[in-house]
Amino acid sequence: MTTLDAKVPDAAPRQTLRINMGPQHPSTHGVLRLELELDGETVVECRPVIGYLHTGIEKSMESRNYMHAVAMTDRMDYLNPLGNNLAYALALEKLFGCPIPERATVGRVLLAELTRINSHLVWLGTAALDLGAMSTFLYAFREREELLDLFEELTGQRMMTSFIRPGGLADDMPEEWLQKTRKFNDALPRRIDEYEDLLTHNSIFKERTQGVGKLAVADAYALGVTGPLLRASGIAHDLRRAHPYCGYETYEFAVPTRTEGDCYARYLVRLLEMRESIKIVRQALDRMPGGEVRTSDRKVMPPPRRELQHSMEALIHHFKLYTEGLRPPPGEAYVGVESPRGELGFFVVSDGSGRPVRIHERAPSFANLQAIPVMAKGGLIADLVAVIASVDPIMGEVDR
Amino acid sequence: MTTLEEHIAAAHPGADLGQTKDGTVFWRVSAGMIGDAVTLLQRAGVDRFLDLTAVDDPTRDDRFELNYLFYTSTGKRWFRLKARTNGDAPSITAQFAGADFYEREVFDLFGVRFVGHPNLTRLLLPDDWQGHPLRRDEPLGGEPVDFTVTRDVYGT
Amino acid sequence: MPAEAMSAPSDLPPIVRDGERDTKDGAAAWALSRLQDWSREKSLWPATFGLACCAIEMMASAASKYDLARFGMELYRASPRQADLLIVSGRVAQKMAPVLREIYDQMPSPKWVIAMGDCAACGGVFNNYAIIQGVDKIVPVDVYVPGCPPRPEALIDGIIKLQQRIGMGHRRS
Repeated sequence: MTTLDAKVPDAAPRQTLRINMGPQHPSTHGVLRLELELDGETVVECRPVIGYLHTGIEKSMESRNYMHAVAMTDRMDYLNPLGNNLAYALALEKLFGCPIPERATVGRVLLAELTRINSHLVWLGTAALDLGAMSTFLYAFREREELLDLFEELTGQRMMTSFIRPGGLADDMPEEWLQKTRKFNDALPRRIDEYEDLLTHNSIFKERTQGVGKLAVADAYALGVTGPLLRASGIAHDLRRAHPYCGYETYEFAVPTRTEGDCYARYLVRLLEMRESIKIVRQALDRMPGGEVRTSDRKVMPPPRRELQHSMEALIHHFKLYTEGLRPPPGEAYVGVESPRGELGFFVVSDGSGRPVRIHERAPSFANLQAIPVMAKGGLIADLVAVIASVDPIMGEVDR
Repeated sequence: MTTLEEHIAAAHPGADLGQTKDGTVFWRVSAGMIGDAVTLLQRAGVDRFLDLTAVDDPTRDDRFELNYLFYTSTGKRWFRLKARTNGDAPSITAQFAGADFYEREVFDLFGVRFVGHPNLTRLLLPDDWQGHPLRRDEPLGGEPVDFTVTRDVYGT
Repeated sequence: MPAEAMSAPSDLPPIVRDGERDTKDGAAAWALSRLQDWSREKSLWPATFGLACCAIEMMASAASKYDLARFGMELYRASPRQADLLIVSGRVAQKMAPVLREIYDQMPSPKWVIAMGDCAACGGVFNNYAIIQGVDKIVPVDVYVPGCPPRPEALIDGIIKLQQRIGMGHRRS
């Protein structure tokens, strides 16, 4: 006979349960796999298992030339393709030491910031979707489509544009395109207000994110965490401000920080960053100078078409560049740029030949991912979803 | 304020310092010295570990050149540590917990064993994988591409 | 046990094509099977299986502007047990291949596979050690959607093409 108030015998050991989350899971943002050890609903231990998207990009880059590698950088972080192009181009330009025309530099800032807005929009949509807010996803993708239309009009591709090349931009930015971009950019702050209306004071959203997944500064430093995660923990470290590239020191923008270090703080930081990016885009459009968008160094970029008609030297440069590819002088270079996820940089090693010896990407998601166990420990398994979403890992650049 | 270089020169006179093309200062040490060097850097104000990778040159005996990238928040600068090894290196996970994944990645793709790493297993490739694909003497893999035009022209 | 039952089941069941349909069971059975095809065609439930870049475009095709729901195929299921369409959206790494096959095996029959993007179709630009050169080496593929990544319109076109084939009775099991 059983009694209703039968107690669990004291001798029974308290057991933890090991479960597996991913690699096919709707809220792991791709193919992240987490091995969890649970005590009831509480996460005792969390171990990320990665490699489910290992693409061998770094090996492929070694077997091709420097120009082919540009197309591969797009596919590493597929939400920040132009930012990845930029980081790669800057590292290569350090090796060449070639001058970049002013119009190309301003254009790079413009494109990099538009890409940052794009990336944060996708993050906002998917993170809100993970927490059950379907409409934010639809709103965010509405703006993203407008932005991708702009990219497509300029570059011919929606996502993998490969538009920022070593030595400048692939092509000039037409005047109508700049006007359309300005129109889009001017409309954007109102749209961000809409997202804020949906989420910022939404009590369910706040319940799910406030105080969840806290990351202390000491942990963030030890784990090499960068980007919005670090800024949400109170450190105003932004490479655009700390180590300006592309003339970021001449733009007016704030580095938004929060001190809470939880998922809600990361949400706020990213939204504020979008507003700052809008400011930078406006300034870039205002100051867009005329002139070339390709470097005058003929070892890096081919001469313009019109010169080929009458200059033998230009024709030889063109021929050499397209048969042998880029041949950077021997050496190593690394330039850190601020991607939407943190410090991104390409470590390029050249031996003077047409093929890279080594191209290594310092991927921000790779380091940020190591913070998930710290943030998830002691929390509920339902909060883990919010934590993963707030880290915004892009498995393409984690696994490369 | 003493710079990193002065700290290093005080502890190791005649240290092998240099600069990469982007202006980052690097310090070349022997593989056995990595742990001491990182401790010294930590004392000199380096508080963040950013990156670790290897560059392979199979023509050398000590073929792998490990490239550590650090950052100091107070001095606002990057710093590189380079060490050559032919397969073994001390782990720095005790000093910087963030080196965990990076050391596993280098072990996975290059086969450099980091002594003292708590869990040195493959990171990106399946556990039963043979070889270390990012070594220069490993083939790229993949399969030959048989374009239609090749068949048409050569009748194969 | 009879000999034929002992033999291993064929990995890929033969494709039933339109016109080869068995009509010996009579008109009623034929009509019923057409009805079945029609209803399968109009209610594809894709599995949520995002791999890489193409997954973002797959999300975009379900979002505001492209809105897959117009064609009756928006019901992304998180569990493969509830899905009958697997959209392989992106490159499949060697480590992912067994997982992908397991997900496919878990889906109830009849089921269909779309290889979205160049990487899923043939390996794309990544002809190297890490990537399966075409997902058709692991699972049978019904429709290939080219592009790197394909536009949402291309994916929708691929699904509509698949729907047409399903409506004509194309299935593998």
